[in-house]
Amino acid sequence: MHLTREDEKTYDGELGWAYQTSMRILVKLGEIFGATRLIPIESAHASGVSYKTIGDAPIDFLEALVQAGAKAKVASTVNPGGFDYENIEAMAVTREIREKQDKIIELYRKMGVNPVLTCTPYYIEAPKRGAHLAWAESSAVVYANSVLGAWTNREGGPSALAAALIGKTPNYGVHQPENRRPSIHVKVETVPENEAEFGALGIYLGKVLGDKVPVLEGLPRAEETHLKQLGAAMATSGMASIFYPCGSCPRRTEGLETLTVDRGTAKGAFEGLSTTSEEPDMVFLGCPHCSFNEVKRIAEIIRGRKVKPDVRFWVCTSRYVREKAEADVKTIVAAGGRVVSDTCAVVTWVKELGVETLMTNSAKTAYYAPTMNKVKARFAPLNQCINTACR
Amino acid sequence: MRELKGRPIVSGQSRGKALVSKKPISFLGGIDPETGRVVEKDHDLKDQSVKGTVLCFPHGHGSTVGSYVLYSLAKKGVGPKAIINATADPVVVVGAVIAEIPMIDHIDISQIGTGDTVEVDGEKGTVKILEAAAHCT
Repeated sequence: MHLTREDEKTYDGELGWAYQTSMRILVKLGEIFGATRLIPIESAHASGVSYKTIGDAPIDFLEALVQAGAKAKVASTVNPGGFDYENIEAMAVTREIREKQDKIIELYRKMGVNPVLTCTPYYIEAPKRGAHLAWAESSAVVYANSVLGAWTNREGGPSALAAALIGKTPNYGVHQPENRRPSIHVKVETVPENEAEFGALGIYLGKVLGDKVPVLEGLPRAEETHLKQLGAAMATSGMASIFYPCGSCPRRTEGLETLTVDRGTAKGAFEGLSTTSEEPDMVFLGCPHCSFNEVKRIAEIIRGRKVKPDVRFWVCTSRYVREKAEADVKTIVAAGGRVVSDTCAVVTWVKELGVETLMTNSAKTAYYAPTMNKVKARFAPLNQCINTACR
Repeated sequence: MRELKGRPIVSGQSRGKALVSKKPISFLGGIDPETGRVVEKDHDLKDQSVKGTVLCFPHGHGSTVGSYVLYSLAKKGVGPKAIINATADPVVVVGAVIAEIPMIDHIDISQIGTGDTVEVDGEKGTVKILEAAAHCT
């Protein structure tokens, strides 16, 4: 791997331990995966924030970085944490958890990393088309590559943080044009009708595609929020980092291996995401975090209705979107729901709230919740989720 | 004495007793970060400690937070002395880099037995089996 003189100095420790260690992370990963050099990035987005999912492990390392004077070189953000201060009364968090979570966030902040605490940083500031990034949240990676036209590998928490501190990333994987080319032609026979059907399709595709780059034919006029669900699900069950949706796309698919997804397969994937048909005690929308328009849509549907008293109705979004959507947030709250920021039902403690059955329109959540949250999952589109939550 | 040649990943030299697993290891959730004991259900190293061992396993898996677990283990003095993998994966590589644990890969780890005294050279990418343990596996 070619390093500039600057890179070499950093590697040799002239800028101190924090930058040396970060440079070593990038160079080692680059060597293993066949990078030729480090390239500048526009932004970094790190995972590894919620105390529920990461525990104490990263605190030692983050503390050592801060003590060694580490500062981010590019615009850098992080994933959701373990709770929402504004809805703290609805969270199952002890004083100890609060202190630990505050400490983790404070350490990122001290490194100049903006604690946006969302998995959808692109709703706050979208990357430029063609910009190279080092993002760790897998759903955001697929969205950035496939919908926004930016270029990022699926980073891990530590490598995204190292890239933030160096301002560069090794140029392997989908930073190379040849690795972004389609390698399989998927024909979707039945056009998915809502975000849940897109998500279920994504879970199936993630399982069967491995690291192949699919052109997905049969998805005309797909909304961005539908593609968000599709991509998040593909990354959940598989290795995906990029896909190409289209209505009919003959030119790009010449000579490629083909895979047909028929109605039965799609239906099976959808049904497989529910582990129960029982009444939920929690209904959760907003995985990945809702966009402004999604919050608006939920508010329009729920206006004038009432959430059942024994159901928790959570809409999760970024703090940024919640502040912008003030009127819609009021509507949802008036109906008996909560608009939760900085966290989500997967990375906070829901089992500890007494939740047994979680209903959601997110295939990613339905896939994870039974293992990560030890709750039963019921999977349905948004309208049905709201209808079930309300009297 | 036999010498196996692999690929250097993290430099440094270390000598110790090998602890060999046939299964991938997830450091997050799989190893108790306080004691270094393997806690993963149904793992072939269950209840054994990685402390002070030359830890040999096919590759890592699971969350990238595992890299931080490796760092914490090393800081608390309960981590492995060296790591030998069949195929290095990002989680373990990053963990070994930040914890400064000598590491090599591209080694046929079935050639090494638990209890063997081995010497790892992370610069050259080699492992010497100095003394084979007197047992059958």
